[in-house]
Amino acid sequence: MAASENTTPRRHAIGEVLFRHETILLLVLIAEWFYFNSVGRRFGTLDNTFEIMRHSAEIGLLALVMTPIILTGGIDLSVGSLLGLCAILFGKLWRDAGMALPLAAGCTLLIGALAGGLNAVLIARLRLPALIVTLGTYSLFRGLAEAITRGVDTFTNFPDSFLALGQQHFAGLPTQVWFFLVVTVVIWLLVHRTTFGRSLRAIGFSPEGARYAGLPVERRIAQAYILAGVVSALAAIIYTARLGQAKADAGTGYELFAITAVVLGGTSIFGGVGTVHGTLFGVAAIAVLDNGLVHARQPREMAGMLTGVLLLAALGAGALPKLLAKLRGPRHSSAPPS
Amino acid sequence: MKRFLSLALCASLAILSACNKSPESSASNGSGGKKLTIALMPKSKGNAYFISCKAGADEAAKELNVDLLFDGPTDPDPAKQNEIIETWTTLGVDVIAAACENKEGISTALKKARSKGIKVVTYDSDANPDARDFFVNQATPEGIAETLMDEAARLTDSEGEFAIITASLTAANMNEWRKHIEARLAEKYPKMKLVDTKPCDDLKDKAQAEATNLMSAYPNLKLIMAICSPAVPGAAEAVKQAGKTGAVKVIGLGLPSENRKYVHEGVTQSVVLWKTKDLGYLTIHAAADLANGQLKPGAKEYNAGRLGNLKVEGDSIVLGKPFIFNKDNIDQFDF
Repeated sequence: MAASENTTPRRHAIGEVLFRHETILLLVLIAEWFYFNSVGRRFGTLDNTFEIMRHSAEIGLLALVMTPIILTGGIDLSVGSLLGLCAILFGKLWRDAGMALPLAAGCTLLIGALAGGLNAVLIARLRLPALIVTLGTYSLFRGLAEAITRGVDTFTNFPDSFLALGQQHFAGLPTQVWFFLVVTVVIWLLVHRTTFGRSLRAIGFSPEGARYAGLPVERRIAQAYILAGVVSALAAIIYTARLGQAKADAGTGYELFAITAVVLGGTSIFGGVGTVHGTLFGVAAIAVLDNGLVHARQPREMAGMLTGVLLLAALGAGALPKLLAKLRGPRHSSAPPS
Repeated sequence: MKRFLSLALCASLAILSACNKSPESSASNGSGGKKLTIALMPKSKGNAYFISCKAGADEAAKELNVDLLFDGPTDPDPAKQNEIIETWTTLGVDVIAAACENKEGISTALKKARSKGIKVVTYDSDANPDARDFFVNQATPEGIAETLMDEAARLTDSEGEFAIITASLTAANMNEWRKHIEARLAEKYPKMKLVDTKPCDDLKDKAQAEATNLMSAYPNLKLIMAICSPAVPGAAEAVKQAGKTGAVKVIGLGLPSENRKYVHEGVTQSVVLWKTKDLGYLTIHAAADLANGQLKPGAKEYNAGRLGNLKVEGDSIVLGKPFIFNKDNIDQFDF
């Protein structure tokens, strides 16, 4: 079904670009920006733009690595919990094990990879459903984090040189935005310019078909989950630097924000269809809404509500052409209704 | 589908505009104008305790003619307080008044706000001292301990055995209270005897079990003093189930709403806490006076409107003695 979008005739090229999900989302984003800029006195300032970027770096990272996973038709509910686990393990390695911060950070990334590997083995090797597996690791990782700290231990007093990663600027941008940009470019290239990305889509459309076509399905799926583990660990380090503290409840609920951003960005939850830039727009649409509402002096509950409206509208918009086509009956035209 | 999406967007923005009567008029009165903007943050937004604080804050804001923003986390993400404070900082409010959920975490955001010239007040629970100008302290450890001890003495005619249920034997604030309770006991009530102190891990059912154990271990026990909030209804339930209502009295530090039932049944005699509405009132009053220069660092006393003159200890403004909720007044409070 979803494939039909990719195989519409070429003669509607301009219309196609215009009515692509990402384009519409970008327009929504621009509309959001102009609205909040007209209402909030300081919304459009560079300072505030940087704040929005700083606040969305971690969820943005999680959404970026969630995209390849959802492209395969999978899902990873454990990323937020893993962020919490990595944050406190990072703190523990540094404070209790006496490691230097760069070494502790390296080990944390490794732990992230291992945790992602656990998901990978269960999902790719044992072929268990991703939803159930990651629901399990979602509880497991958070539970471990709480058990290790007994829910009360927090890690603080990190040196300023480390906090700079989350709170200072580097070469004109908030430091963590550079990390975010690097990850964005890498994942964009992976998904859109390599056979790796193409095989993810193929798996999303039809795992069996991909297998018969000779694609290393298990390995590709496993790689996507391990990547998610590593980047969740990176997000944990950035989160710790931004707040100046690591606690077991870090990143609570982030997995849902990440999934929302990905789906809002036009990636089909059934796999096979989606883009990385769409995910970026999705992250931005949510982040701008969250920040803009404070500038518009609206209560934050509105953010959740409007995100919901946005998501449902985006999904509805996707289903609308098909519905209209059905209503119009068997007419020859496939031009978009406008 | 474009039409549909833009329709949806217009609809949501229309909702926004409808809720937002005159954003420009209030936005243009920022730090440069006459009217102050004070942003008040609770630990979590739905908490009845903080809703009640806000009622007092609204009162002060109206009295002093300041704009009050009230916002806080609605989900359990510890980064949320920081994000809101950082957004308030770029928004350019005059004063931020925050109840801190994560001391270290929020301090980084508050320090940043101060570096941009925003005044910072904390209330209910403090941040690091260098992250704020003043802390509005709802009650000192001495105040809490003395009120509890005096109330215990009043209920037992200053003689007999009593026991304490605390959250844990290591909790810093409760150990501080216990120290002052024991000091008061030694100083003023020689005929009373503290027979035991039990931890309940901040759990109601554990507190209930401990209270039951205490009553069987000490048959002459006259009163249980619960100094963490889940322990007050926990102890009351134990006393009620043991059929010792009135014979073993229960007092403690807790929310009126959690104890209303037991107070009316006569199981719990009194609940000690501060008036949260006054806490909110004082916080906004102090925030406004800090911004317009009437409250300066080093002040020894502070005149807080209807609350009168209050003591300032170092950089904390003390609300005063805790309030005692009992059968006669507990229905007037809804937190």
